[in-house]
Amino acid sequence: MSQLIWNGLFVGSFYALVALGYSMVYGIMKLLNFAHGDIYMLGAFTGFAILGAVGGISPGMALPVLLGVLVVTMAVTGLSGVLIERVAYRPLRNAPRLSLLITAVGASFALEYGMRAGAGADPQVYPLRLGGTAVEVLGARITLQQIALIIVAIVLMVGLNLLVTRTREGRAMRAIALDPRTSALMGISVNAVISRTFFLGSALAGAAGVMAGAYYGKIDFMMGFLIGLKAFTSAVIGGIGNIPGTMLGGLLLGLLESFGTYWLGGEWRDVFAFGVLILFLSVRPTGLLGERVTERV
Amino acid sequence: MGKSRVAVIWSLAAAVSVLTAGCGQGLLGGGSDGGGDEGPIPLGMLIPQSGSEAAIGPYMKNAAQLAVDEINGKGGVLGRKLELKVADDACDAQTAVAGANKLVTEGVKISVGGYCSGATLPTLPVFGKANIPMIIPAANSQELVDQHLKHVFLINGTGTQQATAAVAWMTKQGAKNVALVHDNTSYSKDIAVRTQRLLDESGGPETAILEAVTPKESDYSANINNILAKKPDFVYWTGYFQEGGLITRQLRQAGYRGAIMVGDGSVSEKLAEIAGPEAAEGVYATMTQTPDTLQGAEGWIASYSKKFGSNPGPYSNQAYDAVRLAAEALKQAGSTDGAKVISALEGINGFQMFSGPLKFTPDHTLSTGGFQILVVKSGKFALQDALK
Repeated sequence: MSQLIWNGLFVGSFYALVALGYSMVYGIMKLLNFAHGDIYMLGAFTGFAILGAVGGISPGMALPVLLGVLVVTMAVTGLSGVLIERVAYRPLRNAPRLSLLITAVGASFALEYGMRAGAGADPQVYPLRLGGTAVEVLGARITLQQIALIIVAIVLMVGLNLLVTRTREGRAMRAIALDPRTSALMGISVNAVISRTFFLGSALAGAAGVMAGAYYGKIDFMMGFLIGLKAFTSAVIGGIGNIPGTMLGGLLLGLLESFGTYWLGGEWRDVFAFGVLILFLSVRPTGLLGERVTERV
Repeated sequence: MGKSRVAVIWSLAAAVSVLTAGCGQGLLGGGSDGGGDEGPIPLGMLIPQSGSEAAIGPYMKNAAQLAVDEINGKGGVLGRKLELKVADDACDAQTAVAGANKLVTEGVKISVGGYCSGATLPTLPVFGKANIPMIIPAANSQELVDQHLKHVFLINGTGTQQATAAVAWMTKQGAKNVALVHDNTSYSKDIAVRTQRLLDESGGPETAILEAVTPKESDYSANINNILAKKPDFVYWTGYFQEGGLITRQLRQAGYRGAIMVGDGSVSEKLAEIAGPEAAEGVYATMTQTPDTLQGAEGWIASYSKKFGSNPGPYSNQAYDAVRLAAEALKQAGSTDGAKVISALEGINGFQMFSGPLKFTPDHTLSTGGFQILVVKSGKFALQDALK
C-alpha cells in the first residue's frame, strides 16, 4: 500500500513538473502547447550532451554535477521555449485557435524528428545514473536519489508558485490571463510576459527531462510524446490554468496509475487513467481547483 | 472560456490525424503492377530504418544485399540479375502499409522483409492482392500464419516454438513461479500467452502473473510492484529491448534476485546498456541463431564484415537466407509468376540454410524453430544452452 502511494507520488511529480508548463501557457493565452512534451525530451538530450562533453565524473560527485547540469539545461530549454513561441505562436496570436493548435502539433513534430535527424533514432543511455540501493520506509522501498529528485521537484514548484503569486512579474501574468487587452492598456508588455511564461514552463519541463534521464537512464526522441499527453491529463484533472491545481493533478494522476495498475492489472492502467480524464471533462470540466469563469465577449 | 472546448479541440486533432492517415493509404493504394519481364528481378524488403527498432534495419539490409551480390556474381537467376528494393516500415503499421504499396508499385516479385510482427501483419493483404509471395525473415508472431495465407512463409521460429523453448529452459532451471510480462503488441503478447498455456499444461512451473506494460514509458514501478507481489522466481519479458532494459534494471533495483529472461525482440547490446552492467549480467534470452552463435559461419561473417566494415547482427543470417531462398524458389519455378513461386516454395525440401535443411510445414513455418538460450556476459549475449 505505502509502496503504491510512493510510486504514484514519484511518477506524479514528473507529471506535475511537465504539466505546469502546459497549464501556465494555457492559462495565459488559451493555447494547448503540444510541443511542451518535446521540450521535456529536449531537456533530456541537452543534459545528455552536457554530461557527454564534461566527461568522466566520479560517482560521489554525481548529485552536485547533476544539479549544475540541471540549471544549464533549464536555461537552454527555457530559451528554446521562448524561441518556439516567437517563431511558431506569436505570428498567429490573433489567428483562429485551430490554426494555433495545428502549429503547436507542427512544432512538436519538428522537435521530435529534428532530434531524430540530429541524434539518431537509437535510444541513448545517460553516462551518469542515479541508481542507489533502496531503504525500507513504512514498507515502501525508497532510494535517497528518489528523495533528492522529489525535493528538487518540490523546490521548483514552490518557487514557481511564489513567483506567480507574490511578485510583480506574477501579477502581470495573472493580469494577462484575465484580460490581455486591458493589461496592455495598463502598461504591461504582453509579449515580454508571454515570453517569460514560456521560459518558465519550458525550464521546468527541461528539468524534468534531465531528472528522468538521470534516474531511468534511457532517452529517445519520442520520449516526450506520452508524458506530454499525461501532463495534459494532469492539467485537466487539476484545473488547467491553475498552478496548485496542476501540481495536485500531476500527483493524482500518478496515484491513479499506480492504483489502477494494482487493482485492474497493467493492461488497464492507461484505460483507467484516461477514463478518469473523460470523467473529469464531463462532470467537472474546470478540474479539481479550477474556477468556473464566465465567457467574456 | 469553458474548459469543455479543450476536449473538442483535442478530439478534432485526433480526427485530423486519423483522416490524414486514411488518405495516405488511399492515395498510395491503387498501385499498378509495374516491373516488366526484362532487366533485373526486383525483390522487396520492408525493414525498420527509422523508429524504435531502426538499429536492426542495416543488419538485415546489408545481409540481403550480400546475398543478392553473391547470386548476381554467379550469373543471377533465370538469366536475370536480382535487385534489392528496400522500404522503411518504421516498425509501425501505417508506415509499413505505405511502404508495401510502394514496393508493389515498383513491381517487386518476392518480398524478403518483415521484422516487427505488428508492422508486417497489415502488409500481408497488400502483397497478397498483388500475388507476391512473402518470405518473412524475422517477424514471427503466430498471427502471421494463423490466417493460413498461401503467399506467406516464415523462416524464423514462431511464437509457439519460442514459448516451447522458454518453458523448456524454465523447467531445466527448476523455476517454480514464473511471471510473464508483455507489452501488449501482437508479437509480445502472443509469446507470453502461449508460454502461459504451455506452463498450464506442463505441470512443471506455475504462472504467477501475466502482466502487461505500456511501451515507451520510463517508469514501470507500478507493474513491478504487481509482479513482486506474486513472489516469482523467474521473470520472462517478451517485448523489445528498450522496455526490457528498463524493466530489468527496475526489477533489480526493487530487490528482485531471481532469474530474468527476455524474448528475441530484446536481444540487443542496448538492453545491457540501458539496464546497466550489473543488472544485465546473467539475463537469459530465447533467440534463434545469431551470427555470434552460428557454427561454421566464420567465412560468411568475414565476407560480410569485409564488404560493410562492420560485423553482422541479429537477423542478418535470416535476411541472407531469405534472399537465397527467394532465388532458389525462382529457379525451381522457372518463372517470376507468384503462384508458381509459391508452389516451388512449398515443394522445397532440404535446401541448406543457417537454421538447417529447409522443409516448410503445411502452415508455411519451419519444422523446427531452432531456438536456443543466450545469456548476458559482460554486456554481450553469448550462447548458454542450445536446447538440443
